[in-house]
Amino acid sequence: MKGRVALLGLCAVLLALLPLTGDDVLIQYGIDALLFATLAQAWNIIGGFAGYASFGNSSFYGLGTYGTAIAMAQLHLPFWVGLCLGAFLAVVCAVLIGLPILRLRGHYFAIATLGLSATLSAIIANLDISGRNIGLILPLTRNDTMFYELALVLLVAATGTVAWIARSRFGMGLIAIRENEDAAQVMGVNTTLYKVTALVLSAFFTALAGGIHAYWITFIDPASAFDLTLNVRMVIMAMFGGPGTVLGPVIGSFILTFVYQLLASSISTAAALLFGIVIVLAVIFMPRGLWDLAGGLRRLGPRYFLQNIRAHRL
Amino acid sequence: MLFAQILVNGVMLGGLYGLMALGMALVWGVLNIVNLAHGAFVMLGGYCVYFLFTGLHLDPFAALPIAMVVMFVVGYLLQRYLLNLIIRSSHLNTLLITFGLDVVLTYLAQLAFSADFRAINPTYAGSNVTLLGVTIPLVRFGAFLTALVLAAALWVMLERTRLGHSIRATSQNLIAARLYGVDPAQLYAVTFGLGAALAGAAGGLYGMVSQVTPYIGATLTAKSFVITIMGGLDNPFGIILGGLFIGIAEALAAIYIGPTFTDAISFGLLVLILVARPARSLRGA
Amino acid sequence: MKFRLAAVLAVVFIVISHVALAQTKIVTLGASLQLTGNNANLGRYFRDGYQVAVDRINEKGGIAIGGVTYRLALRVLDNQSDLNLGVQQYVQLVTRDKVDFLLGPYSSNDTLNDSSVAEKYRIPMVQGGGAAALIFSRGYKYLFGTAPPAENYFGSTVEMMTKLDPRPRTIALLAADDAFDVSLAKGTRALAAHYGFDIVTDQQYSEHNTDFSATLALVKSKAPDAILWGGHETEALNFIRQAKSLDVNARDMFAITVGVPSADFRKALGKDAEYAFGMSPWLASPLLHDQWFGDGAQFARLFQQRFGYEADYHVASAVSDVETFAYALEAAGTLDKDAVRDAIVKSDFECVYAHVRFGETGQIDLPQIVIQVQDGKIVPIYTDHFLNKPRYPLPPWGKRG
Repeated sequence: MKGRVALLGLCAVLLALLPLTGDDVLIQYGIDALLFATLAQAWNIIGGFAGYASFGNSSFYGLGTYGTAIAMAQLHLPFWVGLCLGAFLAVVCAVLIGLPILRLRGHYFAIATLGLSATLSAIIANLDISGRNIGLILPLTRNDTMFYELALVLLVAATGTVAWIARSRFGMGLIAIRENEDAAQVMGVNTTLYKVTALVLSAFFTALAGGIHAYWITFIDPASAFDLTLNVRMVIMAMFGGPGTVLGPVIGSFILTFVYQLLASSISTAAALLFGIVIVLAVIFMPRGLWDLAGGLRRLGPRYFLQNIRAHRL
Repeated sequence: MLFAQILVNGVMLGGLYGLMALGMALVWGVLNIVNLAHGAFVMLGGYCVYFLFTGLHLDPFAALPIAMVVMFVVGYLLQRYLLNLIIRSSHLNTLLITFGLDVVLTYLAQLAFSADFRAINPTYAGSNVTLLGVTIPLVRFGAFLTALVLAAALWVMLERTRLGHSIRATSQNLIAARLYGVDPAQLYAVTFGLGAALAGAAGGLYGMVSQVTPYIGATLTAKSFVITIMGGLDNPFGIILGGLFIGIAEALAAIYIGPTFTDAISFGLLVLILVARPARSLRGA
Repeated sequence: MKFRLAAVLAVVFIVISHVALAQTKIVTLGASLQLTGNNANLGRYFRDGYQVAVDRINEKGGIAIGGVTYRLALRVLDNQSDLNLGVQQYVQLVTRDKVDFLLGPYSSNDTLNDSSVAEKYRIPMVQGGGAAALIFSRGYKYLFGTAPPAENYFGSTVEMMTKLDPRPRTIALLAADDAFDVSLAKGTRALAAHYGFDIVTDQQYSEHNTDFSATLALVKSKAPDAILWGGHETEALNFIRQAKSLDVNARDMFAITVGVPSADFRKALGKDAEYAFGMSPWLASPLLHDQWFGDGAQFARLFQQRFGYEADYHVASAVSDVETFAYALEAAGTLDKDAVRDAIVKSDFECVYAHVRFGETGQIDLPQIVIQVQDGKIVPIYTDHFLNKPRYPLPPWGKRG
């Protein structure tokens, strides 16, 4: 265990040194990969541990984005105040919305959260303070290293939180809720409190990632801030890596971001197609993610894939 | 008079929305798959009708059944040889695989048909009749009627035919269905094919009142979602009613609140309805 | 002996070819465009426009920078109509692919994002895809626009309306809520007030809206003399078809910002496109002289032959973007980014698109030519005087042939 932590620490330090290479594209991809990993990890808290498939994380992302943008572009406050404002908005939203929406289960929860995100986007597009549908422009900074290191710190914090959850009573409670919510309640788990807390944690990290991204990209509008495909990507990355594990979502998102970037920059135009095919194949052959695949392959070899199909086909 | 016109517009639009959601609701209710590629099926159906209309000079309404057959086959094959492979894994996985399918179908459509706009434009596309000062566009009225007819046909099929009974039995209990002597793999594929066929019909009509491009799918999927939730999964007419409700709400919102608020209204309603419905009826979905 | 000769010849050949290679130096222009996804339809105009200009300049011997001949090369990536990907691809173009200069994407929103990359790395970007005022409000020094300002798109149209008989009095103004159309609506309101028109309904609708029936009912109830409409082509198509099916007419005229110049658009609408007024800063005219293409009309023929569709103003502005670099590079006599940037500021040349000169903010200002669809073709109607007779007033839908 200790060895593992040390190894991870070493990885984080190595990652932190990456900007020394001075390769801007690498830093760029790095920021992207780290933010995506944070989003996947944040989704993992509510989706992977508690088993509530949220499609509303893009609303927390959007609130984080707009909190930062409104603070900086409209109120001329410093960046960190914007980050705090964004995180605050997202957390408030998670508490207010979490209570009624977390009563829903399965598809219904997924769709309610999806509707929430679309509603917020439409509301933002009609507010003057958020620049209506035109969007907001943030001041330009030429400091990509700062964005990179911030994104890394955020990912480490999110992963640390998840590692704590995985070993805590709180995490046990969430897993119990995922496996059988009624039973968990009977066992004395305060399911409402647990679920809302999970949603709040998820919202917090998601919003911070959104805030960093907003300042880095310098222009935001409702369509890009509340982008549903972004939410789908969080889910895919977490699912691909292994939901409900500590490192699965991080590794899954690193791999998928790498593949997507490689496709988008080298063959460029068929990237979307291949990405779609990768998703379809991944769901068929490794429906429980990389983490499970690693164990399964060791146990069964290539028969692992067949076994997955056999287990889930009709 | 403006109010009456708005109301009529809403009803006409709602009928089409309802038809769009019908296929999604069927698949969702029976197979427990929320099909994110539903909008892509609507898009493909639209292209089918477009090419039958421009290539073979078929009347678009006459081309609808052909498009439905084509889409049935597409849906049948997808379910039989792809989706049946993962049907028993977690519900999130079915969401993901249909998302992947949506990406692939959209891309292939652009490759095959280019990103050009295609409007299905028969000579009567712009015709209308005026009744008591209210203008009723013929194509929209036709689309509305088609939606009603197809909903009725679906209802009859589910309630009165052997196939319908076995589909309903499957949705309630897979093991019981097996005992009935039904091959679930086959039945799932047929059901998904029916869903795709209904989407195809909606696509043809959509191409007549609007236009077809490879990218229309995503919005239509979202709209179908909302309506399906609104209408419930039990009854085809419920879905049509859900469509009407959304159509009218959007039309009224566009006039009395502002056209930029239509999305806020329809999605806001969705969240409110989900939250306000008694929790028990939504459990275990 | 024979072997030796062959060897010597081979060596000589290799040396010569190397020298030759070393002599053809290359300037690379990079762009990330919407080749797939929502905006693919317009993205390809820019790709084809850039490509045709680069190829033509090379065919004619390239450009001379400080006495050395350079050829142009084009590197285009597909951003799948994804804003984030677009930004990343521009960074990639600048830092990894080492392109020398940047050409722009399509659409105001994309330009808002992508121009930050140009500014960040201090590399000039010339673009014809973004016209919204917001783009040029940020004081960016490395960004130049060859699309005229959105505010004034209806300028010539509204001016023309004062000279029509019967003179329209009331206007219904409908525009989407994206950056471009908000600028457009703002400018049009001012124009209407200036010329004494009465705006009877002023509606903003959501970008990507597909159903206009409610808005149309409202317009019908106000019975305006003229409808001025702003938005994307997709929405324009829906709007017109739905106007017909709901029998919504303006008494005198109907004008839209986009679509009319595009052949694809007119084809999709068929007869329903007739009578629609549109605008274009550009028409394929033999009066537009160009160093590489001869003139605007020759260019249009060449383009049609090569790509199989009609060039519109997007294509022409894309060509002018490439030519801006060609002229600026020759004037600067160096590839140095800042020197080229300063040369672009001083741009003053005529090309297939227009006379290119940039204003204070880096944006070109061109008058819009009012055009109208007559028998499926575009007919130029008005600049500051009438060029051709407009078909006017607009017959109601029921009375059209």
